[in-house]
Amino acid sequence: MAQAINVTSGSQAILTLGTTAAMAAPGGTDGLVVPLVQDVSVSTQPGTVRYSTLDSTSSSAFTTVMENEVSFNMLLDEDTFFGNASLTNNSVAELGLFTTSNNKTEIHFSVAFEGADSTDNYLHGTGFIGGLAPNASLEQAVWISSGSIIVNGDLSKDTV
Amino acid sequence: MSVRSDLISQITTNLSGHSNISINSELPFIQGGNPLYSTNMNTVYVDEQEIERETLYVTLDGGNVEQSTTTINAYLATDAKEQFSDINTVISNLLIAGDVISNTVDVEKSYETEIADDVITYTFEYSYTTI
Repeated sequence: MAQAINVTSGSQAILTLGTTAAMAAPGGTDGLVVPLVQDVSVSTQPGTVRYSTLDSTSSSAFTTVMENEVSFNMLLDEDTFFGNASLTNNSVAELGLFTTSNNKTEIHFSVAFEGADSTDNYLHGTGFIGGLAPNASLEQAVWISSGSIIVNGDLSKDTV
Repeated sequence: MSVRSDLISQITTNLSGHSNISINSELPFIQGGNPLYSTNMNTVYVDEQEIERETLYVTLDGGNVEQSTTTINAYLATDAKEQFSDINTVISNLLIAGDVISNTVDVEKSYETEIADDVITYTFEYSYTTI
């Protein structure tokens, strides 16, 4: 029987960043687990070109390249956004999301769907941090920012 | 310091110029079938604070952010036939005292009156929303 992946336990949907694939894997040593994420979306879209032919009343299409992106919204954590100088084993954690984005540094990432336990599924790849747009207001009381990872190349699936 | 004690402290300061009105830090409990503010007229009583918490932001790692609303009532009963000439100033000072609480997202202050026999009772409600 089909069963939806439940994320309400608080340890299923995990975004991890690092300088190597092993570090950025779910549960990877020194990986930066982005905290206080409100939602995360993985977008994978093939590029297509449509064309018409005289013998068909419907258009046809062929694919070009995949365009992949991970987007998320988060409540801002000071260390995560501005960096923690003591986390020297992972420059993403050391410098923070802003500086890593500003430096246009390519990073490794993973999006865990089922947690970080053995055989749990996740997607991973490399890319660039973008889309940071921190905003604050008295009504929302805390800093909130969107963010994205513009994926460079393929998204791959794997298990922990 | 609790919200209640801060409020009592500020009300004490704000009413210092009104010799006919005092404040009592006791809770307005019922004594002999009547609340203390009804027995001891011209004395402000501040009730116990009530706190309501609700989740404001839900995050995937369970690091949720809560919103807390603290509500406190204060009571003042006085003679309805011969009110103090500066009763409006007293009311104003009681409302302004509610501004003492800081780091709030929202503050609401209001009062309502009820007249029974020859006694008018002012019930003030202070509500503070914090994150």
